[in-house]
Amino acid sequence: MHFLAPSLLLGLLAAALPWLVHLIGKRRAQPLRFAAMQLLLRSERRISARRRLREILLLVARTGVAAALPLIFARPFAERTTDLPVASLDPQSAVIVLDDSASMSRSAGLSTMFERARDRARALLRQFPSDVDLALLQASAGSSPKISELSPERARVLEALESTVCSARPADFASALRSASLILAGSTHAKRRIYLFTDLQAAGWEAGTGLPAEGAPEVIINDVSGAARWENRAVLEVSVVPAPEVGTGGIAVDAELADFSASGRRALGMALKVDGISVAKGFVDLAPGGRSHKRFLHRLTGETGGAHDVEVEIDGDAFRLDDHRLAHVELARSMSVLIVNGDPRSARNEDEPFFFAAALRNGLPGAAVTIKLPDDVSPESLDNTTLVALLNLAQPSQAMASALARFVSAGGGLFISVGDRVDATAWNERMAKLLPQPLGLPRTASALPGQHAGEIVDDRPAERLAPIDRSHPLLANFPERGEGLVSARFFKYMLLDPAVESPERSVILRYESGAPALVEKQVGKGRVMLLSTTVDREWTDLPIRTGFLPLVREAARRLVGVTGDEESASLRAGEARTLVFAGDEQRLEVSQPDGSVWVARREQASLAHSVLYSETDRLGTYHVRAVGSDGRITARPEQDFVVNLDTRESNPARLDPSQRPDRIAVASPGVKPPKHRVELWHSLAAVMIVLLLCESVLTLRRRRI
Amino acid sequence: MSEDGRAAGDPARPGLLDPTDLARLASLDLRARTIVEGAFSGMHRNLHPGTSVEFTEHREYAPGDEIRRIDWKAVGRADRYYVKRFEDETEMHTFLVLDASASMGYRRRGVSKLDYAGYLASALAYLVGQQGDAAGLLLFDEKARSFLPPSTRPGQIREVFRLLEAAQPAGRTDAALALGHLGELIDKRSLIIVMSDLLDSEPDDPSDEVRGPLPGRLRQLRARGHDVALFHLLDPDEVELPFDDLIFFEGMEPGDTRTLLAQAPDLAQAFKRESQAFRDRWRTACLEASVEYRFTRTDAAPTDVLRAFLADRQRAVRL
Repeated sequence: MHFLAPSLLLGLLAAALPWLVHLIGKRRAQPLRFAAMQLLLRSERRISARRRLREILLLVARTGVAAALPLIFARPFAERTTDLPVASLDPQSAVIVLDDSASMSRSAGLSTMFERARDRARALLRQFPSDVDLALLQASAGSSPKISELSPERARVLEALESTVCSARPADFASALRSASLILAGSTHAKRRIYLFTDLQAAGWEAGTGLPAEGAPEVIINDVSGAARWENRAVLEVSVVPAPEVGTGGIAVDAELADFSASGRRALGMALKVDGISVAKGFVDLAPGGRSHKRFLHRLTGETGGAHDVEVEIDGDAFRLDDHRLAHVELARSMSVLIVNGDPRSARNEDEPFFFAAALRNGLPGAAVTIKLPDDVSPESLDNTTLVALLNLAQPSQAMASALARFVSAGGGLFISVGDRVDATAWNERMAKLLPQPLGLPRTASALPGQHAGEIVDDRPAERLAPIDRSHPLLANFPERGEGLVSARFFKYMLLDPAVESPERSVILRYESGAPALVEKQVGKGRVMLLSTTVDREWTDLPIRTGFLPLVREAARRLVGVTGDEESASLRAGEARTLVFAGDEQRLEVSQPDGSVWVARREQASLAHSVLYSETDRLGTYHVRAVGSDGRITARPEQDFVVNLDTRESNPARLDPSQRPDRIAVASPGVKPPKHRVELWHSLAAVMIVLLLCESVLTLRRRRI
Repeated sequence: MSEDGRAAGDPARPGLLDPTDLARLASLDLRARTIVEGAFSGMHRNLHPGTSVEFTEHREYAPGDEIRRIDWKAVGRADRYYVKRFEDETEMHTFLVLDASASMGYRRRGVSKLDYAGYLASALAYLVGQQGDAAGLLLFDEKARSFLPPSTRPGQIREVFRLLEAAQPAGRTDAALALGHLGELIDKRSLIIVMSDLLDSEPDDPSDEVRGPLPGRLRQLRARGHDVALFHLLDPDEVELPFDDLIFFEGMEPGDTRTLLAQAPDLAQAFKRESQAFRDRWRTACLEASVEYRFTRTDAAPTDVLRAFLADRQRAVRL
């Protein structure tokens, strides 16, 4: 502690006055011979403890007051070493950039890196002289700037700073510094500075500094980590795949773990959680800086399907956000599929159901798939079946047609694909009630002579699909341009005869020629879907396109009445998600992990009936629901998604000094850090006022004993 | 008298002197007369209102005697006024038992407790003498210091006055011992009036084995048929502790080495409560022993104290 007027400290002698008065008072006590000593001593015993304490407190209070006065007049101050830049004392325009990226949420003692950064930013703000123009930005990718124009209102900036919270997004310093430079470009001050409060993690600097080559403002970095290295272990990836070998609802959860330390970790504890409940535990060894994979097998319960949050968690460290990672899966309703193979072949890959069954098994874990030849199928075979697929079947028997009509009307799903063996006349006759559209003549795009079914003929002339309409629920999850589907080539397909327009019938996919490729029809409680080409490679290469599996999966779900993905989309924090309005839906609501709800109205949607949801700041599961024109709310589990951490944030590697945008931050050794003067008389005055109040209260109470 | 023993002087009644005024009077004899005359203006003064129906003798009428007790037949025969005396009234002894220990000498303003006790005792002795009864005196500290047996002989009251005037506060207090000694000396039913500050003796102190508990002695006297009244005398300072400064308190009695340095105002409230509790304990103890308890502050007018005492006794007899 230092004093501006140390000579006034002589006044501290006054602190002895209360003691002197106390001692003198004792000495001049009047002696009195008193008879009722017993009563007197008894009274004294009763109050002595309180009285003595009060006397001591009174003496201390009075001494404190007597000492505080000269101390205040002596103007005490303390000099504190600080890493806040001295440059902040100049008149200037300044943009404070606060690193609010995910890695800043790691704990550092009793607080977090982010809290430390915010404290320092707050101290800097208070240190600025009054004639400084200020703005405040965050460094996380895609974040909205807090104050994006220069303002002399320090209180406003302080308020904005206090309201800033650490996000789970990755850092994007290039964007942040670029924005700061643009803001400072309009400054009237000669000195323009960017104060960046960060832990100097290398992640986020991949795109450079973002500063202009000429006339860039001065960047001053405050490394809140104190250049301390930190060790981290993270769950980098979690994927869920079907594991039919475990049984119905069986899943395999694959986790990729990484170590970012020099020591590695043996027997790192990890756990698999399903819907927040730990269902399996294990250990894994991590080599220094190494990676490891771990697979959990688990059988999801729930015969009738349902969504599940699958989470892999490892023993916690300072950075908790990457110690767990989520996947959201929806268990399909127990699906029993009967595939009628109308064109059996000896070579498996030439067999009609080969691709179709594979798509079902992989796309719908838990689905029981049975393949039968037409002669083996009886009407009783439809019992306990939820979906029947007739693949290139020549013609259904009359009995089978009737059984199928009952089956679909009762809620079953029927998938029909055509091929060379199909007798269109017989089909149109027996299945008229079920077919979405009557079958017509086969059309060959341009068959070359000498072709044989099953050959790989990539050079055949072919048609492609017309651009897809994602407003149909079946196609809602496909990419906007229909990648994986529109690239498929159709060498041959069956034309469908015209049918009466009805609300029960809709064309899902068309060929470039306009001919229907996939048509559906609602029959009773069930649904029929007709693919006007084969599901093997005889007429098309669709089965080997990436869009085939999701198309079959979604078709099967729609036919059976099940919606939802097995594993829904997984986004990284900060990434946007396209949400599609289907049918007459007027509003889409996203229920966020913290319980808040984001709402988008149809008016906000683009021509593609979609809106962009970008508020993926929090890690967790986001649930989507839609509100129809009649106000009915329906869950849209197929649009649910999880948000996980951008794994770049897990890497504690520090930014290479050569890449730092600041030039003055690298202090020369031996240079003393700057000191700041902190006036103490305010605090002393406050203490004196408190002591005076105490003295008054104690004196009053003394009279009441 | 009020409940707290304060003087309840009546300004409309002349002759009511407070203790300080009484102290200015030359002799105890005169003080006693003043007290008695002031107390008995218009009031019967008999300390022993008889209840026995067994006639024993005549006595010449004296002012203050009840008119209904004049023997009119004797008046007709002798042409002088005589009153009848009954069994209980004859040879009725009154013992005045005064604590003369050092603590009774405490005085800051007004008179000391011993002086005050002297005023009351002399007035009572005078009254007893006026009625032709026998009055005795016992002055005690830690032992019986002076004992004057009751007698109706001429000069007895004067001897009582002399002893009272000569009494000086000294020594420690042992009221129980003195009363025990008195109990052995008297064999006739008597009125025993004890005056003490009772300090340093607790009515319910079982540890006081050496001196014996005073209430026990009082109960013994009552059991022997004696009528006992206890005047609990306290200086106003011993009731309120009305000091404003830092005081170094010291014990008064010999061998009492207790001291206390204290800001008196800090202690005042607690002391008042303690003093009140002390008096309450004694009041309860006396009630249990069927002893008349009279708390008296030394700033109370003795006339009022005496008047209240006699009035209460007569009221008790009528009941």
